[in-house]
Amino acid sequence: MAAHRAQWKGHIKIGELSCGVGLYTAASTSDRITFHTVNAATGNRVRREFIDSETEETVERDEQVKGFDVGDNQYIMIDPEELTAVIPDSDKMLEIEAFLPCSDIDDVYFDKPYYLVPTDDVSEDMFAGLREALKEASVTAIARTVLFRRMRTVLIRAHGRGLIATTLNFDYEVRSSEEAFKEMPSIKVDGEMLDLAKHIISTKKGDFDPAQFEDRYEKALADLVKAKAEGKTLPKPKPVKVSKPNDLLKALRESAGMGKAKPKKAANANARRSKKAVADKSNGKTPQKKAS
Amino acid sequence: MAPRRPYWRGYLKLSLVTCPVAMSPATSDSEKVRFHTLNKQTGNRVVSQFVDSVTGKSVKEENEAKGYERGENDYVLLTDDELESVELETVRTIDIEKFVPRESIEWVYLETPHYLMPNDKIGNEAFAVIRDAMEADDVLGISRVVIGRRERAVVLEPRGKGIVVWTLRFGDEVRPEGEYFQEIEKKADPKTVEVIKTMIKPRMEKWSPSMVTDPIQESLLKLIASKKKGLKPTRKTDSKKDKSEKPSNVINIMDALKKSVEADLKGRRKSG
Repeated sequence: MAAHRAQWKGHIKIGELSCGVGLYTAASTSDRITFHTVNAATGNRVRREFIDSETEETVERDEQVKGFDVGDNQYIMIDPEELTAVIPDSDKMLEIEAFLPCSDIDDVYFDKPYYLVPTDDVSEDMFAGLREALKEASVTAIARTVLFRRMRTVLIRAHGRGLIATTLNFDYEVRSSEEAFKEMPSIKVDGEMLDLAKHIISTKKGDFDPAQFEDRYEKALADLVKAKAEGKTLPKPKPVKVSKPNDLLKALRESAGMGKAKPKKAANANARRSKKAVADKSNGKTPQKKAS
Repeated sequence: MAPRRPYWRGYLKLSLVTCPVAMSPATSDSEKVRFHTLNKQTGNRVVSQFVDSVTGKSVKEENEAKGYERGENDYVLLTDDELESVELETVRTIDIEKFVPRESIEWVYLETPHYLMPNDKIGNEAFAVIRDAMEADDVLGISRVVIGRRERAVVLEPRGKGIVVWTLRFGDEVRPEGEYFQEIEKKADPKTVEVIKTMIKPRMEKWSPSMVTDPIQESLLKLIASKKKGLKPTRKTDSKKDKSEKPSNVINIMDALKKSVEADLKGRRKSG
């Protein structure tokens, strides 16, 4: 624990009850640099410099100030003091304003997760009580406080022995799914097509541990770089064959191992059929090696 | 919000069923108050430019190239077209490899949500089949796709007429919870739990985007508006301001803004 520093310390408050908590970053972004920007003319790396757009002279950091674009190439300068004044003083209080059923959360608002941990022995009693109450009632809590110079809404939920607080994106940062999908035609699928697709799903059911996932891009890129360095012609991407509406049922049947395979595809179709037979025996829970 | 241009186009695939799709992020900071950097002396915009690290001269845009480091100060240069040749099907295709029960993916792994939809009417029905079967079985799809020159694990979740695609954080990006939670040892006192449960009921609410407003952004907009008017007194209900014919000083506006933010928050809490 000593190794970690809290991002924020304060209290969770509900009604007249409160407990001290620390907020710890639960996820960070690991930047993997695959490319550097290089000057093609010299082959040297480039670095970034900040210059005045008119005079083209270098502008040092302490000469830089924030400005707001009011159109027509006009800017209003905003002093750091003015910005600070807009931010209300933090009362270091995560006051719970509402509770929501766990199933009622629109998760596209999720921003970043933080672990919440009680700061002292006395706080742990109330902390444990809140955690169990959230679990038993199957709810999450909505609280607000000044966090990182913004008024942020966080969603607090029970997780194992602790609590996880997720900051939520602001209303103007999120587009609703209804709006995003409103231009799409309404198509309902049922009957044989749905049954076939459900069957395909049943043969691919399994567990997934995101922690075990490996990024294969770098390896593929290294291969490409090697090919280019050796002067080989780079492979053309293979064209992707799209299922036409008329062929959809056939593609589903074949996927489900029920298609009448064409002669030239006989070997494949057999392989699929035998897989399906195994899947049926074990109630569709055969782990698929192909998936990894 | 204006419809967003898709930032990824490719294919969605389930076994032998393939359809063309487009994906765009569900979130954007295009409506966030954004500041530019100005030169305090001249008031001009500050822009960044690339300078050759050895010669110190500025680099023309057409000479900016992506270099893959082969050795010290030795780069293999690649064009965007060449990068398209990377031999990974996940550059273009989201092939659903596996299905898992809903709720089986830990929230801490969810990174960025995207909306996925058909990109050509030829694929409308195939898309609907995949979506409806996942919905009917109450499962999430697991796949991988290359975004931003990294292959990302993704989760597909049917939602309404479309599919939400979440990129997942990498294993080394999520801090082990045990290191934070292991020292929490106390069991909850059933009486405390009961008391808190009685406090939950009257505070139950339905989710609403009004829970995630940004009062500070509103204040920033007011600040900008007031500066734009050259600090003329604003036509607000505040009578004190109306009395002063001279431009009111900035500090007073700031105080007023601060008070309005605080009042807004207090009001919200009381009503909550």
